[in-house]
Amino acid sequence: MPADQTFFDPAHPRRGRFDARVVFNRMLCREHFLLRLVIDDTGPSFPQTSPGQFIQLGCRTPDGAADIDALLGAEIEWPPGNPGGQAALRQPELCQRLALLRRPFSLAGRGEDDDGVWIEVVHRVVGAGTDWLSRLKPGEAVDLIGPLGNAFTLPEDKHVALLVGGGVGLPPMFYLAEELWRQGWTAVAFVGAMTRDLLAVDLNENVEPDVTGLPKLSARQFARFMFPSVVTTDDGSAGLKGRITAGLEGVLENLPGASAAQAVIFTCGPEPMMHAVAKLAAHHGIDCQVCLEQAMACGMGTCQSCIVKIDPKMFHPERNEPAQGADAVGRPWRFKLACTDGPVFDSKMVVW
Amino acid sequence: MTPSSPTPAATPPAAAVDLSIDLAGLKLANPMMTASGTCGYGYEYADFTDLSRLGAFVTKSITAEARKGNEAYRIVETRGGMLNAIGLANVGLDAFLADKLPQLRKLRATGPRVIVNVAGHSTDDYVKTCARVAAEPDVDAIELNVSCPNVKDGLTFGTDPRLLRELCREVRTAMAKNVRLIVKLSPNVGDIVLTARAAVEGGADVLSMINTYTAMTIDIHKRRPRLANGTGGLSGPAIRPLAVYLLHRVYRHVAREAKVPIIGMGGIQYWQDAAEFLLAGASGLAVGTALFVDPATPVKITEGLAAYLQKQGCKSLREIVGTLALHGEPPVTPYP
Ligand SMILES: Cc1cc2nc3c(=O)[nH]c(=O)nc-3n(C[C@H](O)[C@H](O)[C@H](O)COP(=O)(O)OP(=O)(O)OC[C@H]3O[C@@H](n4cnc5c(N)ncnc54)[C@H](O)[C@@H]3O)c2cc1C
Ligand SMILES: Cc1cc2nc3c(=O)[nH]c(=O)nc-3n(C[C@H](O)[C@H](O)[C@H](O)COP(=O)(O)O)c2cc1C
Ligand code: FES
Repeated sequence: MPADQTFFDPAHPRRGRFDARVVFNRMLCREHFLLRLVIDDTGPSFPQTSPGQFIQLGCRTPDGAADIDALLGAEIEWPPGNPGGQAALRQPELCQRLALLRRPFSLAGRGEDDDGVWIEVVHRVVGAGTDWLSRLKPGEAVDLIGPLGNAFTLPEDKHVALLVGGGVGLPPMFYLAEELWRQGWTAVAFVGAMTRDLLAVDLNENVEPDVTGLPKLSARQFARFMFPSVVTTDDGSAGLKGRITAGLEGVLENLPGASAAQAVIFTCGPEPMMHAVAKLAAHHGIDCQVCLEQAMACGMGTCQSCIVKIDPKMFHPERNEPAQGADAVGRPWRFKLACTDGPVFDSKMVVW
Repeated sequence: MTPSSPTPAATPPAAAVDLSIDLAGLKLANPMMTASGTCGYGYEYADFTDLSRLGAFVTKSITAEARKGNEAYRIVETRGGMLNAIGLANVGLDAFLADKLPQLRKLRATGPRVIVNVAGHSTDDYVKTCARVAAEPDVDAIELNVSCPNVKDGLTFGTDPRLLRELCREVRTAMAKNVRLIVKLSPNVGDIVLTARAAVEGGADVLSMINTYTAMTIDIHKRRPRLANGTGGLSGPAIRPLAVYLLHRVYRHVAREAKVPIIGMGGIQYWQDAAEFLLAGASGLAVGTALFVDPATPVKITEGLAAYLQKQGCKSLREIVGTLALHGEPPVTPYP
């Protein structure tokens, strides 16, 4: 641990808790929303961020924005002079399913305009916290902790990126695409979902995803950087019918050797998908970085909840850390934390 | 509007009320501490809050050997709380002393006292670990975790008064005299008064309470427990009324007479919660689960308490400890 991590320097936060306001919360497709937040510029400035990093978003009205004193006071307040009238709840949180802990979301973008620094996340409604997020309106207050976790690395000797995003694994790819474009890489995006209306991208009008699996400028989030996409759906309702790995395999088979040597696969999505992608990468001898997910409480390395199994001989080999177990084929593993050691790992280190 | 801590209107200057507390001779600048296992080894939160404003820092449980802990899922949120089954994952005593304690020494130099939480699986194990930790300079107290519900033999010492008394006696004897012994009580017992009394008889200088409640949630589609460990420990706002009640009992039946201070915890998130614990009899206060929501929680609570105490007409925080008057009892607070 570097010494500079020990003490708090409020003037130059590397990360922190920030107040923010909703700019928009736009439905991307069924169950998925693109949420843009502008960071309150009266506090310290929002630190640098990189693709692959995430934030811990509070999925309830932040303290101070609601009258917490009232929330903690009497339960029900009858309107004065109208004892029989409609009761006003003073402790609505006792009547609702509210998320207590923050929820982790990958950064899907970052920028700056006249109102200050903005960040974007894409959230899919799966429970109490994301349901609350889906109801957010422009101007409403939220608070977040971040930026957290490590980031994707762009090796100097490579410049072809294959972005593989399944479901809610797509958002970090949006942010990564922009960074790749800035650094002059070429990229192809692989976009997968169960069915057309769960594709969490904006499809370009008049550019239907190719049913043969050929890359087209069909997903706007990638097309804006002139990166083509290969779209797959499990039921064939958009693009190629089948798994995302089918699309990836098609491209890998036809990738000229020179390009393969300069290629890196970046992937995020459901674990079985990432595992399959990692296997394909290994088979074709292409470097692969995976962005892992695990249930998190703190997001900053204190609670030890977000464990993933990593080969200790490959993760910081100089530290010589002993293994804590081995998988069925005898591959040694050691628990690492997705929130601070990751979430991005070289796929060769991951013991699935 | 910038969200701020929920302090009463017109926060008075912090110096107006003396917030310092005395834990069996150990002086703390204020009552706020971190709860074991929710704050790592200190530096993790340094970016988010001014750690020097804590009264004391409590480490994750340390065991003689490093422990890898349980498989995933290790946590799951429930309504108003969370279940954890981390399984005492920690770096082990040697690595703690070599790598983590030096960092805590630096933190201690800025104000907070250092409390090391120790867990074990036999008397011998506890005694050896505590003796080594207590021999280190800059360790102010050891908190004995005899109440971890997430390891196979974790609860035995915490639930059997006779075993607990013996354990405390042996540990106290083996430890350097100037290091306080804090015993952390489990709520997973029939009558907590019995274990509290046993700890005090065994030589505990301070009691802390409570650890988590053993609990379970089930994935109804898979018909399996949600946690890999099956059961876990419930913490967070959901357990606060339970914790306040147990603390009230232990204060009235054991601690008040024995003059043993109590560190209260269990669901503390706002200063209002903290005030309940003080009234029930706590001198110190620890924040666990709420740190995940906002690492600055203890600092915000300190500010809120200062304002509350002033409104209650108190010159010091110590004045209000245990001043709850049950219905039928004469009021003991100088209500303005
Ligand atoms: C590093 C990281 C980045 C993430 N990025 C995104 C993102 O960009 N967009 C997005 O929509 N989601 C993302 N997630 C997942 C997201 O955090 C969960 O969907 C969210 O916590 C669910 O909260 P909830 O209250 O709505 O649901 P809950 O009621 O908590 O849970 C609903 C369901 O989601 C599952 N779940 C809960 N927490 C997680 C988790 N951390 N990971 C996976 N499943 C979980 C539960 O098992 C349950 O079945 C990310 C998770 C991690 C760890
Ligand atoms: C993730 C997590 C890990 C914990 N680990 C420990 C531990 O190692 N040792 C211990 O004595 N208590 C541990 N606890 C219990 C807390 O210290 C505290 O007693 C309990 O959570 C109640 O306080 P809270 O409601 O403020 O969280 C842990 C709690 C949580 C939530
Ligand atoms: S989420 Fe707490 S350690 Fe990773």
